[in-house]
Amino acid sequence: MSIKTSSPPKIRKPFEFAHDRSQQLKDDKFETEPIGFFEDAMLRFVKNKASIVAFWLIAFIVLMSFIGPYMNEYGYKDQNVTINYMPSRVPGLERLGILDGSKVRRVRYSSIAEKYQESLIEIVREYEISGVRMADIRFNDYIYRGIADKYYFFGTDALGRDLWTRLWRGVRISLLIALIAMSVNIFIGVVYGAICGYYGGTVDIVMQRFIEILGGVPTIVVMILFILYYGSGILPIALALCLKGWIGMSRMIRAQFYKYKRMEYVLASRTLGAKDLTLIFRHILPNAIGVLITMAALAIPRAIFQESFLAYLGLGIQAPEPSIGILLAEGQKVLIDHPHLTLFPAILISTLMISFNLLGNGLRDAFDPTLRGIE
Amino acid sequence: MIRYTVQRLILIALTLFLIVSIAFITVRMMPGSFLKSRNLPEDVRLIIENKYHLHEPLIVQYKYFVSDFLRGNFGVSLGLQPKVPVFDILKQKIPITLQLNLFALILIIPLATIFGITTALKKNQLYDHIANVLVIIAISVPSFVFASLMQFNLAYRAGWFPILLSTEKALTWSKFHSMILPIIALSVGAIAGLTRYVRAELAENLNSEFMLLAKAKGLKQIQAVFRHAIRNSFIPLANMIIPLFMGILGGSLIIEQIFGIPGTGPLMISAINANDDPVTIAVLFFYSIIGLTSILLIDLSYGVIDPRIRMGGKR
Repeated sequence: MSIKTSSPPKIRKPFEFAHDRSQQLKDDKFETEPIGFFEDAMLRFVKNKASIVAFWLIAFIVLMSFIGPYMNEYGYKDQNVTINYMPSRVPGLERLGILDGSKVRRVRYSSIAEKYQESLIEIVREYEISGVRMADIRFNDYIYRGIADKYYFFGTDALGRDLWTRLWRGVRISLLIALIAMSVNIFIGVVYGAICGYYGGTVDIVMQRFIEILGGVPTIVVMILFILYYGSGILPIALALCLKGWIGMSRMIRAQFYKYKRMEYVLASRTLGAKDLTLIFRHILPNAIGVLITMAALAIPRAIFQESFLAYLGLGIQAPEPSIGILLAEGQKVLIDHPHLTLFPAILISTLMISFNLLGNGLRDAFDPTLRGIE
Repeated sequence: MIRYTVQRLILIALTLFLIVSIAFITVRMMPGSFLKSRNLPEDVRLIIENKYHLHEPLIVQYKYFVSDFLRGNFGVSLGLQPKVPVFDILKQKIPITLQLNLFALILIIPLATIFGITTALKKNQLYDHIANVLVIIAISVPSFVFASLMQFNLAYRAGWFPILLSTEKALTWSKFHSMILPIIALSVGAIAGLTRYVRAELAENLNSEFMLLAKAKGLKQIQAVFRHAIRNSFIPLANMIIPLFMGILGGSLIIEQIFGIPGTGPLMISAINANDDPVTIAVLFFYSIIGLTSILLIDLSYGVIDPRIRMGGKR
């Protein structure tokens, strides 16, 4: 290698603009509108057909929970024991032979002519039991009990209360409980997680130990003890669902804070004199908004499920007031004889849970496409 | 490792004590008592109260309770089966519940792995899409809805299964026959959840670089999948099984009630309704013990199954 001895090339003007001043140096203007975070997520969300269907189903159920109870003249606690366990009967559909208020019952053959003459639809089967002629007959219960002009869309329960009215009112109460539980969970989770994640150190260690101990206690046990103590109203049940519900939320928010708090933009903001509260709520928390919305959507079906679970244990809402869980638990007791009391709440709760789960999955994919397919 | 385990055990003992104390105070402060029956003569009531120290202040009762409890004495049942030691009642009920749950677990694990592996291998094909839809449905629909529907359609309408659990003591074929529906109801949701998990894990591993290496070595696709991908995707799976068991145990509270299984679930419900405090506390204690041990097992198993995960709080 030879050492170059030649002097650098002479430049006439050592400091000169590389470009002419008249020549504009600018990026091209975008021809399209800029897309924000939510618009971007929305674009992905509407592509997910299942989520859209789920969204409209939920919207329909929520709407019905408000107008449903007022669509007929029966109140949710109007009792009439003479018309208990009526099968469902819907005008229009009854001509097609479904939901026509008919029931199958085993009777003595001789009593058909006496009692069931008017209401008889068909004789399903004839047979003999120890010398007595019996028959399974299908008859119209509404005509049989002399209320041919009435329509109970979903039938009536043990006390003759209209299931349609009670079901939609129950949906409203279940959703209300779920909503309260979800908001409280999010609030506690965000505050707790933010403090843990932002301050770190000793604060974090102590607060995480507390979560560990609380997490060790079985959920059923704390929920049952709480409701035993505070009684079973809407608020106690909703709060019972919050006792451990916020833990997952706070863990996630804490992780988000650990991820973002060391970033340069936070440092820059702190140098400019931003206070802790500003940093937490204005600069770091908005990063977690997508995850937060997704968690909220997925927390609702869990709350609905747990509410029904408690109702099955006999710890549901107080008596005249219905909820989906209460209706299911009541229906379960007479499942074999009167399946319609279980069927309609079961269909509704299944639809609601599937829809919310699909919506939650859709939202998760929309806000964070990298998580697609991972649970 | 041993030090860590001992630390955890002490923490668990403390937590258990805390739970039992809270349970005691809550249950005792509940309105209503098994003595509130109207036709009970006053002097009988006094005798009973004296015997069980019920007339003394709560703090004194708590002292008696703790000293009994530390000696492993749960007391006697007051309302449900009067004078029978609570321990004996639990001894009858717990095996029934555990049996049911273990059967469910035995059904869940192989089915979930098979579905998970097949869906991951056939990702984005028709089979996978159908399985996905079924998984969403199975995860969303609550287990008690499944139980009710199956009880009505398969047991009552079709008559394939008995409606309630058979009352035989020993595990005979007819007893097992009547246990099929509760087992299915318990496991459907768990199978779906686990399937989704296995599928996600395996699908991720199939695209990883060690699979490329395995194929470059000359392994066939199927050899590479079974020797490398599946082994790696089972690491997180092992840690999911224990909480899964906990979940089934919680779910079986209701399933037991629906199918008339005389396990711990109905016992707890009737104990609460009958204000039978010792039984209620004992059942809550049972559930807490299972919950806490399962958490301990998960934490310990992390180190055993995957040595890459370090023990304890030091990170």
